[in-house]
Amino acid sequence: MFNKRFTAKAVPLTVVLTSAILISSSSFARSNVYADFPITLKDYSGSATTSVSYKGQMARHALESSLKKLISKGDVSAMQSYYSGGSADRAIIAPATKGDFVIMQSTIGELSSKNLSGKTYKGLIPGWPGNMTGPEVVAFMFEKAADAEGGYDAAHAYDYTQLVSKFLMGAVMYNQAVDNYLDEKLEADTKPNNKPYKDGAAYTGKEHVWDEAFGYFGAPSHTLTLTAQDVYNIAKQKDVTAADYNYDGKVDLYKEMAFGHAYYASSFDKGGKTTYLHDIVGAYMDGRDMLVAANATALSNSERDQLKAYAQVIKTNWEKVIAEAVFKYAGETYEDMVKIEAILESNGDVSKAWRNYSKHWGELKGFALALQVGGKDMGATSVRLNRLIGHSPLLLGNTQVTGVDSNGEYIQSNSESWGGYMAHMLKVQNLMVDEFAVVAKSHDQTAGLAALVDSLGAKSSAEND
Amino acid sequence: MTDFFANFLNPEKRLFVGYLISAAFIAIIWIRMVQKKPLANIVSGFFNSNIWFSKSAIADYKLMVFNQFFIKLLAPILVGQLALTLFVFENMHLLFSRPSTSIPVWMVMLIFTSVLFILDDFSRYLLHRLMHRIPLLWRFHKAHHSATNLTPLTVLRTHPIEAVLFSLRAVIVHSLCLGVCFFFFAGSVSLIEIFGSSMFVVIFHSLGSNLRHSHVNLSYWNWLEKIIVSPAQHQIHHSINPKHYDSNFGAILAIWDNLGDSCIVSEKNQEIKFGLKGQSEKAHNLKNLIIGS
Ligand SMILES: [Zn+2]
Repeated sequence: MFNKRFTAKAVPLTVVLTSAILISSSSFARSNVYADFPITLKDYSGSATTSVSYKGQMARHALESSLKKLISKGDVSAMQSYYSGGSADRAIIAPATKGDFVIMQSTIGELSSKNLSGKTYKGLIPGWPGNMTGPEVVAFMFEKAADAEGGYDAAHAYDYTQLVSKFLMGAVMYNQAVDNYLDEKLEADTKPNNKPYKDGAAYTGKEHVWDEAFGYFGAPSHTLTLTAQDVYNIAKQKDVTAADYNYDGKVDLYKEMAFGHAYYASSFDKGGKTTYLHDIVGAYMDGRDMLVAANATALSNSERDQLKAYAQVIKTNWEKVIAEAVFKYAGETYEDMVKIEAILESNGDVSKAWRNYSKHWGELKGFALALQVGGKDMGATSVRLNRLIGHSPLLLGNTQVTGVDSNGEYIQSNSESWGGYMAHMLKVQNLMVDEFAVVAKSHDQTAGLAALVDSLGAKSSAEND
Repeated sequence: MTDFFANFLNPEKRLFVGYLISAAFIAIIWIRMVQKKPLANIVSGFFNSNIWFSKSAIADYKLMVFNQFFIKLLAPILVGQLALTLFVFENMHLLFSRPSTSIPVWMVMLIFTSVLFILDDFSRYLLHRLMHRIPLLWRFHKAHHSATNLTPLTVLRTHPIEAVLFSLRAVIVHSLCLGVCFFFFAGSVSLIEIFGSSMFVVIFHSLGSNLRHSHVNLSYWNWLEKIIVSPAQHQIHHSINPKHYDSNFGAILAIWDNLGDSCIVSEKNQEIKFGLKGQSEKAHNLKNLIIGS
């Protein structure tokens, strides 16, 4: 049962750990690494030693992060190949080895020869102009990115690198996990737990459903042994020691890397106000432990209710992570607008600030679109969010993109004043507080205001002479 | 009941024990040095049961207790304050551009504390003036003016509706002031505080604000009384004499009264009777104070 991690440690530590395990063996039931769960299927005859498998999800994370690099290169066919192709030889452009942070895999095929297009949310994307479905939005953005220098269209303030990346994290990873695996696939009649997921598989239906959902979140399998700061450093490729859980000198993209929304969760949690990352991974772990205990029997209604309760913890926290990102980038967009206005007033060169404005708005838009593809009807919140942000950032001359014409060209119309759009960003932040109860509140533009109101509120206000 | 005691333990409130003690000291010095009365008379004057247990004072206490229950209903008004502040802050964006250069924090604090003080004081003056001038409002404010003896506790002899109006005033003024200052100075906005209360308010209360509701007619030089309301001037405001009617509405600053032609400065050895002309003894019944006669 001891893996390399234990044998690699000095003897005194093993002694301490062993005695700790002996003393608390009963409370040690919950594992803290999402790996090596046993095969529960009695009839399994293959060579696998564990029932855990979610390589396809990690391949999609690698495709998404590689695509992010490709957008700025302007080669549409390369973008399409990563988005919808099937070649195993596609190189993993990111994350790539950086100094001592050595990445184990170099091609997509070493993980799994998947693509993103088949798993992109097929519904309408109302927050993007042109009445397009998810895959159509992606194809449209690829074309536009190829036309723009380095994937950046300064005239419309569109940063396609950010737009595509953040949209895909929502339309593929988030949508697949919360609207498919953690939703209809938890029902009794789909992928039951007393049968293999498919013929010859080492895992039951529900075991694999749960594992795939875990993979889409993008957290390292040993997240619960790490702090949020560690996971953040792993995503930034700054801490190989934290990443390399099995001490083989390489970072395994399958099990040891941090991707996607797990990275964003860590970025908020490291501030100390939230615990999204550990709450989500903890719920995945609890659900998986429950499935091991079910031992390949069909889940009872109460067991499925329990599993759905874990799924709900994951969904709620995941949604909050995206809402925190919307909050953060609305704040950064606002700050960019303050800077741009000041530069314009002093007749300075606005191009660098404009680049940042486009980047932050692209992230804001991407996350805002992502928030709306979780499979639940957000009703008025969705409408309000899309109207406040609009189809593009506010452009100089107080216009905004309002649509796409039949040739696929953007249509601009008169819109808000500069200050009016800044107020929209404030309202986006308020909306995230009101509807999703965000807590980390990065780049909060009204931070301290509530406290000031409180401090004045109580003062002798009713006293009169 | 904790709210009731908070009146005496909270330096934000006029009835904070520290302010009562400082007022007592100021009164002793004033009566001894200026009016040259013997110390024994002064001390016995402080504990004069004819004042503290007069019908008027007992009415103060009854209304105070009654308002403790009523004041709980004010909580939702304060909740609305954040929403209103945000509304002001957001709408400032439509009128001005957000400054990107920052001024020193101490200067922001000084500006904010001063602006809040001036706006707060002006709005008190204005509402107080309206309480007298608008017949409907006077029906509520009358409860305060029916006091025939003044003690520091008379400040709480207020009709509950008046308390609501003054709370609304505070919400509007605070929201405006915060929303506007936050727009221009962002995170550096804060109040210069002493004991957790605005510097100006603490200074005002420490300098004997409690004496305005008392029989100690502490006055200032007449030139100063055109700038700051002295206790004697506020006692004129409570006078039964028609020539004193509708004067000295100010809370701290007399400037507003001076501009509004309602400033009356004190006279040496003024003898003032407090209350409303022709009021009956019944005016001190709780029912009359609240519903009117
Ligand atoms: Zn009055």
